[in-house]
Amino acid sequence: MSPVLDAKDQELKTVSRKLRKMLNGQPVVVKNAAHLHGLAAGLKHGEVVIEGHSGDYLGVLNDGATITVKGDAGKYLADNMTRGRVLVEGNADYGAGQYCYGGTVVVKGNAGDFTATMNKGATIIIGGDVGSEAGTYMLAGDLVIVGDAGANLGNYLIRGNIYVGGEWASLGHNTRLEPLTEEDVHKLEGYFAEHGIQADAHGFHKLAPLSAKPFYK
Amino acid sequence: MPVIGTFCVSVDKDVCVNAQSPGKCATCVEVCPYGVYEIDAQGQVHVNNYNTCVGCRICAEFCPANAIRINPAESEYLSRYPWTFGQIEEIHHKSLTGGYLLRGFGTAGPLPHFDGIVVVPSQLASESPRDKYREECQMEVVIGEDTAEEPITLRYPILFPAMSYGALSREAKLALAIGAAKTGIATNTGEGGVVPEEPYYANGYADPERKEQKWAPGGYLVIQWSTGRWGVSADYVNAGDAVEIKIGQGAKPGMGGHLLGAKVTEEIAAVRGIPVGSDALSPCRYYDVLSFEDMKKMVAFLRDVTDYKKPILMKLGPSRPYDDVRMAAEAGVDAISIDGICGGTGASPDVVTQGVGIPTIACIPPAVRALKDLGLHRKVKLIALGGIRNGLDAFKALAMGADAVGFGTAAEIAMGCRACMACHKGNCPYGITSQKPELRARLDPEEVGQRLANFVQATAEEIKILTMLSGHDDIRDLSEEDLRAVDINTAAITGLKMIGYERRLPWWENGHSS
Repeated sequence: MSPVLDAKDQELKTVSRKLRKMLNGQPVVVKNAAHLHGLAAGLKHGEVVIEGHSGDYLGVLNDGATITVKGDAGKYLADNMTRGRVLVEGNADYGAGQYCYGGTVVVKGNAGDFTATMNKGATIIIGGDVGSEAGTYMLAGDLVIVGDAGANLGNYLIRGNIYVGGEWASLGHNTRLEPLTEEDVHKLEGYFAEHGIQADAHGFHKLAPLSAKPFYK
Repeated sequence: MPVIGTFCVSVDKDVCVNAQSPGKCATCVEVCPYGVYEIDAQGQVHVNNYNTCVGCRICAEFCPANAIRINPAESEYLSRYPWTFGQIEEIHHKSLTGGYLLRGFGTAGPLPHFDGIVVVPSQLASESPRDKYREECQMEVVIGEDTAEEPITLRYPILFPAMSYGALSREAKLALAIGAAKTGIATNTGEGGVVPEEPYYANGYADPERKEQKWAPGGYLVIQWSTGRWGVSADYVNAGDAVEIKIGQGAKPGMGGHLLGAKVTEEIAAVRGIPVGSDALSPCRYYDVLSFEDMKKMVAFLRDVTDYKKPILMKLGPSRPYDDVRMAAEAGVDAISIDGICGGTGASPDVVTQGVGIPTIACIPPAVRALKDLGLHRKVKLIALGGIRNGLDAFKALAMGADAVGFGTAAEIAMGCRACMACHKGNCPYGITSQKPELRARLDPEEVGQRLANFVQATAEEIKILTMLSGHDDIRDLSEEDLRAVDINTAAITGLKMIGYERRLPWWENGHSS
């Protein structure tokens, strides 16, 4: 039995300090945490399972922990993560995986606008659709969208790759379509197998930047 | 704006070593990064192109014979305003390139500033003056006293505000850390990540194990959290002694940080996680803040990530100081920096630097009023930034109600800068705002750190003199009564009593609020 932390009516400071003490080897289940924003912030190790929905900024600055949300995640999921894994079984709101330097974010459902904005090296996989402006000013890493994307996809992409399984409303500046290579297919198949996503990697489109220096000549 | 032909370069051939003995000296050729001088096959030095001179005067400084003089071409401000040489060059630049002017340093030109204010000394009708030589003066400032488990205590009401690693060289960042350590004040990482040595240097240690303190009493490092989030991780946030959330800056409020590709070397690219030579354009706002409620959550999670130990600061540009400061205080921070239009920058569009934002002296009174209205004045610390040059400016800011002041541009000048306003070019002859190894080698962090420490000590001494002659022995007791506005404009802007009139201007007396 995993230890359980009931966050009902408790403040972030109380829950956070308890959680840090409880993280010693086995996964900690946190219940009733939807009102807490910035939970499991900056953790270096351990496994946290959120029963139900989470608040905003879950796993911000995550630096090695594995965080699973059984329900939906709030805004800014795994904001500025550097290492670790954040997995959401439901949907994620606005801005999942923004500013990440590394690690993996997997959302089984849909994700909102500005997903993976300024991604600097993380692997961000969305099992469903994403909103507008996904991958804006992405500087490195992979954004995989199994479903459809909204408008302005990959706006001012600088480096890194965006893979889309479905359709997109429009592409952003500094993006171009690039043929999928065998390596890409292999990589995507690996992601799908690892996270139990049903999709055919061969049918994906790949976006790459036009230039690494789009702002000034 | 240094523009083509603004400076006359003259070399006195009677004393020039090279003119006497060709081949013997070519220091000017060597030190000038702009190709003003040239050496020919016979070893003779010529002024090759004085039009490229930016007026940094490094040639004059290094000339062993003092043979070089650099003078402004003419006082075109007087003779041709508003069509000054600078304006003409700017229009030419735009018409030739299709691009706007981008430059570093900060606002130039006359704007209401601290010079319109004088200090009122103590005589018979007020508390007697204190004796600077034989009495003590309380100058410490504590940030996060009741709110952070490990508050920081600045020895003087001074800090070095945010200047990024990238805009500044590694050596300049380390010099600031050493200067802060030697004087017990704080330095700030800026938004470009942290130089590995910076945290322990700022605390006064030369070794990462922090075995023996080398630079007493040791200072503090404020970690800046900004919109580009360059080099940011949980370790970065915890690397210093406080965290500052940057909302804006005086030189370009409403715009994000701007590091030109020319300065993005391999080292900088690695810290920032961007391709070498690519511009690092920070977003103008936080992608991860959509509402004021989100901003409060951001303050809360930064407290959580730092385990409720470190003070959280916020830095604002000069916009609507009353409302902005009020909201910053309501967001739950421990100190608020407000930067006036004279604040510095590594690079910014010229029109923004010159014309966007309000002067520092206009920011402080509404900011103080906002904190007083919330009952938080002197609890949430107010830090005034933007064009503060010396102890006199600092004293005026403190008496207007700030708790501390920041010296950014002044600190750069203390490091050797001659205000050539070409920081964005990456050719700083003093190695302060350059990433070129040969220019950086000119800046020895320890030597320049001592210069900064000297500057801070002397400035603190000036603040002390002014505090004591106005009848106080604690900077927290300073008030607007210690100041007078010398002109109607300053009196109108600041709400200070005007000389002669000896009262505040009428609308300030009639329940004025912003």
